[in-house]
Amino acid sequence: MTGSRVAIGRSRGIGDRPVLLVGLGLAALVVALIAGVGLGSVAVEPGDTVAILAHRLLGLDLARTWSDAAETIVMELRLPRVLTAMTVGCALAVAGATYQGLLRNPLADPYVLGTASGAALGAAIAVIIPVRFVVLEFGLLHGLAFVGALVSIYTVYRLSRVTGLAPLTSLLLTGYAVGSLLAAGLAMAMYLSGAALRQIFIYLLGSFDAATWSRLAGALPIVVLGCAAIMLRARSLNGLLLGEQAAVHLGIDVRRERAILLGLASLVTAAAVAISGLIGFVGLVVPHVVRLVVGPSARAVLPISAIGGAALLAYADLVARLLGEIPVGVVTAVLGAPFFLLILRRARTGYEL
Amino acid sequence: MSSRSRLVPSQIPFGLLARGMTVLAAAVLAIAACTAGSTPPASPASQVPTASIVSPTSAPPASPTAAPAFPTTVTDDEGTAVELEAEPQRIVSLTPAVTEILFALGAGPRVVATTDFDDYPPEAVELPDVASFTAVDIEQIVGLEADLVIAGGNFFNPPESIVRLRSLGVPVIVVYAPTLDAVLTDIRVIGTAVGLGDEAAEMADAMQAGFDDVAQASAALPSPRTFYELDATSAIYTAADGSFIEQMIELAGGDPITTGSPTDFAIPLERLIEADPELILLGDAAYGVTAEQVAERAGWDVMTAVRTGEIRPVNDLIVTRPGPRLVEGLRELALAIHPDLVLPSAEPIPAMP
Repeated sequence: MTGSRVAIGRSRGIGDRPVLLVGLGLAALVVALIAGVGLGSVAVEPGDTVAILAHRLLGLDLARTWSDAAETIVMELRLPRVLTAMTVGCALAVAGATYQGLLRNPLADPYVLGTASGAALGAAIAVIIPVRFVVLEFGLLHGLAFVGALVSIYTVYRLSRVTGLAPLTSLLLTGYAVGSLLAAGLAMAMYLSGAALRQIFIYLLGSFDAATWSRLAGALPIVVLGCAAIMLRARSLNGLLLGEQAAVHLGIDVRRERAILLGLASLVTAAAVAISGLIGFVGLVVPHVVRLVVGPSARAVLPISAIGGAALLAYADLVARLLGEIPVGVVTAVLGAPFFLLILRRARTGYEL
Repeated sequence: MSSRSRLVPSQIPFGLLARGMTVLAAAVLAIAACTAGSTPPASPASQVPTASIVSPTSAPPASPTAAPAFPTTVTDDEGTAVELEAEPQRIVSLTPAVTEILFALGAGPRVVATTDFDDYPPEAVELPDVASFTAVDIEQIVGLEADLVIAGGNFFNPPESIVRLRSLGVPVIVVYAPTLDAVLTDIRVIGTAVGLGDEAAEMADAMQAGFDDVAQASAALPSPRTFYELDATSAIYTAADGSFIEQMIELAGGDPITTGSPTDFAIPLERLIEADPELILLGDAAYGVTAEQVAERAGWDVMTAVRTGEIRPVNDLIVTRPGPRLVEGLRELALAIHPDLVLPSAEPIPAMP
């Protein structure tokens, strides 16, 4: 699908070099990793940080110059946190690009078909029912958020099939209706929650504060495999982007491919929101920025969005941490929105999904 | 292009956030006072109300003075048994009430960090802040090499953070005082945990005597129907049924008007008018609310308290914060309810070493 590149404004030159962008993105990720592990509310000597990483990750036998506290901070708090931010960023950006392509709607994001409302309601129910258990650091909250996201998207998908409308219109409108219902449930749960309201509120804002190795280990395989499976279907996504008729002519089983891509994107989203709460903006904007720069082909958009989303959330979380644990969603929007506007200004002609 | 639907409102329940914030802001006012816990408090320590004097012999048998106090196991208000190897030297307080208790007990010099909403005593305000309204800075707690963290239950501090600290090997004691008895129990629990069990017992006994003094002095007087205003900027927030404030008002000689539900912190104006308060206490006086403003509110002029001008300010912080200044708060409350009340001279809360 190399022919599907669209010339857009002054970004034309970069559009021919997605490989360069991947390289730049990976470099940005490495810098984010180093900065994320090296900086925080406690000052750990850069030399100590490097030594701890070399000692624990590479198994180098170094003379211990660091404190136990520094080792815990680097290995148990910062490293899993940075990697979780990257995992979630990657998941949301890829899911967002997929939803936008599938629904052919620039306002689509990973939450548009009710996953967010479903996850939030699940989390709220988990918080207000007086049952507490933890399996491998996964509490009821993570479980119900994950299940809530998937149940809601499945419900939306099934209900959308029984209307007489065109499939995409039907999906979007059903998603809106189901999402509203779930949002009402969430509002009720919040109203009834008493002191637990704060816990629900924290989930709605989204945060990587609670990142641990085992939670990362739970979400990472789902995100990696899900994103890889989506990328392998980039051709189908490109076909669907051209319209249903065109996709059929390209030999794509539209209904099947749409269902599979929707399922994969939702699975990836559910894994992300289960461990991080609801973080907005990334899933909506990162794919647009990437498309504006490299053109609409899913083959380029998906992997570059993955890297871009991972880097954006890693940096946003670092800023959020350094500013004293402000909500990471605030940072993504404050950092990202002006950048997005700038890109939009530069490329106002010829941009299509 | 019939299936192309653009401009679908996003389903992210961020719209709810706005509402959540309002509810939350209100809940803060109502809850912040009663540092709360998800499980019933430990059985209230049985008190001898007549023993109004501080005497070292009143130490509970649980902490014999001769035997070494550490290692020891403390059972917190959530029923968690917390093992303490040695007398904690680097203590972190995650609630303002706990901070006040620690300083009043004489453990202040061993406190290394508090919350960003601590305001008393002045020494505590200077310490590093490791807890905000929504988050606990675990990295900094680890970096400070804390050997004891005392957190607030019932979602005062995020349960996730408490679990996380424990998983990193930091002992965490969770306290939650929904009643006056529970406050005294908490003081004993905290005292035992920091190696000041005898001092804590003395303090708890002295506080009990202070409560009894007020209760006795106001017992024979009539109990005016009392409305305690926490906030009335949007909805009207007051004492919930069974709440700490309700108990304080009863003890101070008033007949509290409550919301009618243990989980609701707001009272509908209709209900308040029907209850017809004979006295309005302004817990929000510190935020600039005055009797004149109350009298001007639409619909309030029918209340007896407004017609007779029985509207008085109180210092909400010492009335609702479950710490060592509660006796002071109760005395102030009693005098606000019965300005002519004659109280025995203030029981000194034992001066600590």
